[in-house]
Amino acid sequence: MSEVVAVIDYGMGNLHSAGKALEKVASGQQIVITGDPAQVRAADRVVFPGVGAIRDCIAVLRETGLDQAILDVIAAGKPVLGICVGMQALMARSEENNGVECLGVFDGQVTFFGELQSDTGGRLKVPHMGWNQVQQGMAHPMWAGIADNTRFYFVHSYCVTGLADEEVAGRCEYGLSFAAAATRKNVFAVQFHPEKSADAGLTLLENFLRWRP
Amino acid sequence: MLLIPAIDLKDGKCVRLKQGRMEDDTVFSDDPVAVASHWVERGARRLHLVDLNGAFAGEPVNGDIVKAIAKAHPDLPIQIGGGIRSPEIIQAYLDAGVQWVIIGTKAVNEPPFVKEMCQQFPGHIIVGLDAKDGKVATDGWANVTDVDVIDLAKQFENDGVSAIVYTDISRDGMLQGVNVDATVRLAQSMSIPVIASGGITNLDDVRHLCAVADQGISGAITGRAIYENTLDFGEGQALSDELTSA
Repeated sequence: MSEVVAVIDYGMGNLHSAGKALEKVASGQQIVITGDPAQVRAADRVVFPGVGAIRDCIAVLRETGLDQAILDVIAAGKPVLGICVGMQALMARSEENNGVECLGVFDGQVTFFGELQSDTGGRLKVPHMGWNQVQQGMAHPMWAGIADNTRFYFVHSYCVTGLADEEVAGRCEYGLSFAAAATRKNVFAVQFHPEKSADAGLTLLENFLRWRP
Repeated sequence: MLLIPAIDLKDGKCVRLKQGRMEDDTVFSDDPVAVASHWVERGARRLHLVDLNGAFAGEPVNGDIVKAIAKAHPDLPIQIGGGIRSPEIIQAYLDAGVQWVIIGTKAVNEPPFVKEMCQQFPGHIIVGLDAKDGKVATDGWANVTDVDVIDLAKQFENDGVSAIVYTDISRDGMLQGVNVDATVRLAQSMSIPVIASGGITNLDDVRHLCAVADQGISGAITGRAIYENTLDFGEGQALSDELTSA
C-alpha cells in the first residue's frame, strides 16, 4: 500500500497547488488534502501550512480538534513539515494579538519584526518579503541536495526566535538573525515558502517525502 | 466614488470566475468590445480589464481585444491586470491606450519590480493586493500569510504606486457583500487611493462604501453583480454620484 501524505486544510484557503507541488515530487505517495483529524492521524506523514493571523489559526485548530491530531502524529514519530504560520503555530507562544498560546512543540517565541531594531539601529521594514539566503545550521536529510546559503522565498511579518541552538536547522538574516528552519526529532518546520521557492523548494519537499526520522 | 465595471477576458471572451478558479467560469459574452461599450453607455467612467489567460500564462493573451476596447473609447481611462510581469508588457499596454497596469502576483513575488516599474512608468502603476481578514494572501499554498495588508500597501505607496486595488478573497465573486471595515482601515492608513474589489452585490453595498469613500476609497470594482443583475450599474453609479462628490 502506498504511503499517504496529509496536507492540513482549514477549509479557508485554496490548496490546489499544494497537491500539485507535492504530486510533482512524489514517488508513489498518495497526497490527501484534508481537514479531518482522523485522516490526519491515519496519514504516514503530514504537511502543516498555517493560515493568516496566528490567533485565528490556533482557534481553528482547537475548534476542529486538528491541534490534538497534529500533536498525536508528532508523538507517533511520523514526519511532520510545518510551513510559514504552520511553523509559528508549533512554537510555545506568539506575541501577535497581545499574546497567543501556541502548540508548544518547540520552546521558541514568535516575534514581530517591526519592534526589532536592525544592526544599524533603524526600524526594520515590515514585512520581510522576497528571496533571502538560508544558512544551514546543521547537516540534515531535509537539506540533501540543497547548497548552504541557498535563497528561499519569504513573506512574513513575524519570526521565530529563542530556539535552542540544536533546534535551529537554518538561519536567515533580516536585520536580525531568526530561525528560518527548526527541527526536533520527526518535526521540521520552515518559515519560508518551499512551494514558491523554485527548484530548492521542490527539493526540500522531495526530501520531506523521503525523510525517515 | 467610481463604480468600475470589470471585464474578465479569457480566450477572447468576457467571463466570470468563481473564487478565481480558471476551470469554474461562466461566459457572459463573445464580444468584449460590445460589453465595454454597454457599460460606457450605462455611465461607466473607468474600466477594469483582466487578462485571465495572461494571469495564468504570465504574458498577455488578449492584447488585441484590449487594444480594440481602448480604440473604441479613446477618452476612457482603462486599468488592466493579469500577467503584468515585465516592462515590455507594460509598455505594450500603455501604447495600446491603457492608462494603468495592475501588478498582482509579481508585486508579492518580486517586490523590487514594483519600485522599478514606478520609476520607469510613473503614474501608471497600480498594485493589486489580495487579503483574507486583513492578512495578505499569496498564490502559494500556505497561502494566507501573517502579513498585515496595511504594512505591505505602505511599502508600495513609498515605491510610488498610484493606487491599491484591494480584494477580499473570501468575498470575491461570491456575492457576499463588501468587507467595508478592512477597506476603510487600509484607505485611512495611506494617502493614495484604494479601489475596493470583491463583494459588491447590490445598491446597499454601494451605499455602505459611499458612506466611507471620503476616507480614501476612490472606486469600487464590480463584476458578477452587474452581469447577474443583482446590481443595476447605471443606478449604482447614479447613487454613488449623489452620495459622494467624486
